[in-house]
Amino acid sequence: MFRSAFIILLTIVFLLSCQTRKGKQSATEFEVPDSVLTSETMVISEEALDEIVQNVSSPVEMAALIKELGVPFSTKYLATTDYVDKYNTSFKMAYNLGVFGADLGYLNIYEKSAQVVDYLTAINKLADGIKVGQFFDFKTLQRLATSRENIDSLMFISVNSFNNMDKYLRENSRGHLSALMIAGTWIEGLYLVTQVAVEKSSKDLGDRIGEQKVNLDNILLILNNYKEYQQVSELIATLNELKDEFDMVDITYEIGEPQTVEQDGMVMIVQNEKSVVKITDDQLNKIINKTKQIRNKLISA
Amino acid sequence: MKRQILILFTILFTWPAFSQFNPGFVEQCATNSGKNATYLKDFQVVLNAAQPEQVAPIARYPLVLSKNNIYRFSVCTPEDSPGKAVLQLYDSNKLIFSSFNKDTGEEYNPFNFLCQKTGIYHVFISFLDGKQGHAVGVLSYVTK
Repeated sequence: MFRSAFIILLTIVFLLSCQTRKGKQSATEFEVPDSVLTSETMVISEEALDEIVQNVSSPVEMAALIKELGVPFSTKYLATTDYVDKYNTSFKMAYNLGVFGADLGYLNIYEKSAQVVDYLTAINKLADGIKVGQFFDFKTLQRLATSRENIDSLMFISVNSFNNMDKYLRENSRGHLSALMIAGTWIEGLYLVTQVAVEKSSKDLGDRIGEQKVNLDNILLILNNYKEYQQVSELIATLNELKDEFDMVDITYEIGEPQTVEQDGMVMIVQNEKSVVKITDDQLNKIINKTKQIRNKLISA
Repeated sequence: MKRQILILFTILFTWPAFSQFNPGFVEQCATNSGKNATYLKDFQVVLNAAQPEQVAPIARYPLVLSKNNIYRFSVCTPEDSPGKAVLQLYDSNKLIFSSFNKDTGEEYNPFNFLCQKTGIYHVFISFLDGKQGHAVGVLSYVTK
């Protein structure tokens, strides 16, 4: 009796686990090579890698800054979704998944629901392509975007979907795809802010671009972990050209003690220790041009 | 025998409660950071009670904050958590602020942080009196 119940229980657990892990059918024919499914050789520990991944700032912050500066929304900063069906390798799918993720952040910040659905569809297709579609709640996101009922939930579920995809890829020996996704997100965010800087001269934007030096170092650390993959290795070489430009940027620090003030009935801590970015117009232009060149090459079909 | 079957089915149907954080609670906490705040990330923490004569367990999360941005830190402790969560923000090994002042008993949840130095910071989450607990910390971007 007990044995029968145990077998029934195991069957239920098995069926439930199948349901929660069920991925949607891939829209694009894509075979995961066996080499990819074997354990990846990590240069740094999983724990250290996780910390570095957390240390890459969100593209949502860039988009929010741009909006705060009064820059009007424009689709010209966005990557086109027209090529989505032509992204037929895991490298291109993962990289452009990150790119569209950054663009989704920009669209969400500006609450552009009409365009959001187009990007959600593209993301869904690419997520299915690299078999992480089960973490992308397309229907809920589509509903939230079209109804504009809750922008906070839209932001939360979007960010959470990407975090879950990233986590799943890294836990299943496909960390190189996660690294590509993170790189795609960051480069697209950098492209967005550099293109805005071309049209709107702002000390704040220039400083923010210069500070991306820190994020680029983190991106390279993440990618270096997977340099045995030829395409990752090529991306590292490309990004090292950008690093050469960023290395010219100087960041210094000034010491100071934090102050506590009250603003709108809430405690605010004002940091008085400051980072000072020294970036010349020439350095900024070189970064802008190199970013554009790299980004456009990587999103091409 | 009936009792054993009952135990097995109890485990089966309460499994999600043990295996993962309630996603509804996380979303509720993440989307209730207040006026002008945009969700950036969350920190889900589950900690055991401190053992006698031992330091209370603490969870640590690294994050990059950018200059000239205002960030909001909040922490939500669900009703069924035995311990109340405290969120602390550190710059290297220097405490910047804590959501709870032990000396006065005052709570500052949420609190804002005007960042003037782009760099790596750390969020620490622990539970008062070293109790066992689970909570969600949330980082949001505040529009000026």
